[in-house]
Amino acid sequence: MFRKLVALLFVGAMCGAAQQAAIRMEGGVFRVTGWQAAAEPRDGWSSVFAVYAGEGDIPPVLGHYSVENGLLTFRPRFVLASGLHVRAVFHVPGQAAIEKIFDLPKAAALVSSTHVEHVYPSTGVLPANQLKFYLCFSAPMAQGEVWRHVRLLREDGSPVEVPFLEQELWDRENRRVTLLLDPGRIKRGLASLAEAGPALEVGKHYTLVIDRDWPDSRGAPLAEEFRKPFRVVEADRKPPQVTDWHITAPSAGVEAPLVIDFPKPLDYALLQHMLQVAGPGGPVAGAVAVDREETQWRFTPNQPWVAGQYRLVVETALEDLAGNHIGRPFDVDTFDKVTRTVTSPTVEAPFQIGVRGGVR
Amino acid sequence: MRLSPFCKLAAVAGCAAILSFAATGTMPMGKAELKSAGALAFAPDGILLVGDSVGASILALDVNDRTPAAPGGSLEIKGVVDKLAAMLGTSADQIAIQDVVVNPISRNVYISVSRGKGPDAVPVILRADHSGKLTEVSLDNIGHRQVALADGPQDPKQRMETITQLKYVDGQVLVAGLSNEEFSSNLRSIPFPFQTAAKGSGIEIWHGSHGRFETNAPVRTFVPFEIDHKMNILAAYTCTPLVKIPMSELKPGSKVKGTTIAELGNRNKPLDMIVYTKGGKHYILMANSSRGVMKLTADNLETYQPITKQTEVTGVPYETIADLKGVMHLDKYDDSKALVLMGEGASLDLRTIPLP
Repeated sequence: MFRKLVALLFVGAMCGAAQQAAIRMEGGVFRVTGWQAAAEPRDGWSSVFAVYAGEGDIPPVLGHYSVENGLLTFRPRFVLASGLHVRAVFHVPGQAAIEKIFDLPKAAALVSSTHVEHVYPSTGVLPANQLKFYLCFSAPMAQGEVWRHVRLLREDGSPVEVPFLEQELWDRENRRVTLLLDPGRIKRGLASLAEAGPALEVGKHYTLVIDRDWPDSRGAPLAEEFRKPFRVVEADRKPPQVTDWHITAPSAGVEAPLVIDFPKPLDYALLQHMLQVAGPGGPVAGAVAVDREETQWRFTPNQPWVAGQYRLVVETALEDLAGNHIGRPFDVDTFDKVTRTVTSPTVEAPFQIGVRGGVR
Repeated sequence: MRLSPFCKLAAVAGCAAILSFAATGTMPMGKAELKSAGALAFAPDGILLVGDSVGASILALDVNDRTPAAPGGSLEIKGVVDKLAAMLGTSADQIAIQDVVVNPISRNVYISVSRGKGPDAVPVILRADHSGKLTEVSLDNIGHRQVALADGPQDPKQRMETITQLKYVDGQVLVAGLSNEEFSSNLRSIPFPFQTAAKGSGIEIWHGSHGRFETNAPVRTFVPFEIDHKMNILAAYTCTPLVKIPMSELKPGSKVKGTTIAELGNRNKPLDMIVYTKGGKHYILMANSSRGVMKLTADNLETYQPITKQTEVTGVPYETIADLKGVMHLDKYDDSKALVLMGEGASLDLRTIPLP
């Protein structure tokens, strides 16, 4: 009974008025003018007023209805994208539908400005069991595009088939993406390695190509193609050892960096946060820089060094280019009795900050 | 005592109402925050689990959807990306469907979507009812609870773990992820219902091959499955497809080595797995990136010996379902049907198919 009354009130309110009704769009908000909105119809305002982003069998745009100053108003859930063909339909029972088309202006032509800033590893000589590449961009990129725009080419220009594990691994800003070379073609003892062979072969030359038409987050292609040529050498199955590192300690009273030199490149991303410095007063705050093709780690303290005994604390999850961890190779050979695995989460290397500095 | 169909329905509805009270009673109402919406799963009592890789958290949502579905039914939404784009007021190339999952109670389908492809992409959760009508699941005022996976702001800024799969199994939410930095496994186990600040414990998963080489191997996707009256997960590594791991071994802080029961070929990425029964036999259906949809025999998995030798294709027998091409997501719809998101390029359909 109540619903019938509401429906009658609704129809009464619209009678004689729908013919003058019109649809306006201002600032992305749609309003029905020339029609006094009264009680909401039983099936909701969407049953008389709907906005469609396109033609054909599509559902209406999501959004919120309200009556503002007597005008039925629809606010889309999201700002409608540039260039959309929008159709707003107002249709009350017993009256002809009113439809208005809004072709939203297209966005201004985009200028290509985003480029590849760097690809890690920096070196042009990689082990056959290389595990990762990090592609760093100057601005945020579009997700879901990686495998259409990254190619690994042999010396003759032929592509290596499916060399990467096709899982997009971005950072939060979409400015760095990690390419994992298919671990099934690296790890020893797998059918997939025997069947497909390694992605990288010793002695061969390859080029990692990042196509120019990869869109950034605005939809603009890159400013230019990027190529990283490299040569492949024997697989590296030797875990990094902290005892092989060369520590150059600065003098007390200065803010000069502590410098650690490695005998081989280590993982760029992990070097940013897997080494810490602890001093007489506890953890030392400072800035990290990675240099010399990821063979050098420099740490500049926020405060001048104080003389005393220090420790370089290294997480054993730190990897080299082939995914070998501190004290543990990428794939542990359980037949190899010489293999020793390090299970503690960190290892430490002591060093001294003296009045004149020192070298370990 | 035999109950009439009406009495059974009434009993089920009554149970659902009680469970509904239990769920909403434990999950505070309010605005649920999502930075991204990726992998989806259902916990008991119609609670939707959403993996938020950017926010490094798992969100449990009471979507208030516990009305049992009538038997039968099916779903077909053609051109689902175009439809989602129209609803969200953008072009189809700005829509990415991250996951689809079926509510096993109501058989409504839930879809996690990104509107946009840059870092400012907006996550949206949508529900498709039996008629194919799509509505948004509003997060403005919803019963929810969230658990953080990261250690907080001190975590390295650029490090992110992409949640590739999550499932509720025996009182735990298991979360598989892949880091954009270190190559290691960290299958996370979080007691459910979520407790405040319970971020769960990591389990190291190892993989042995050829009886010799062992790797700390990330799990990409998995499905719970009972083998010899014991709950296991069947897991697909990033480096080789299928292993079994007893749930009893998945203890917080433990190191577990999965037993390889099938190697299904190279240059392939397993996407989704379901288990089902047909004609009294158990099967696994697995969607893959480049090797189509595989149907594996899942009876007597306890009798298969671990694969310890290199062979091209070994272990559990399987067949490739020829007419299922371009399947990107897969979930069980009911006892006789699966839900698939399939198609070519941007033209994707969401539909139910008979279980093969």
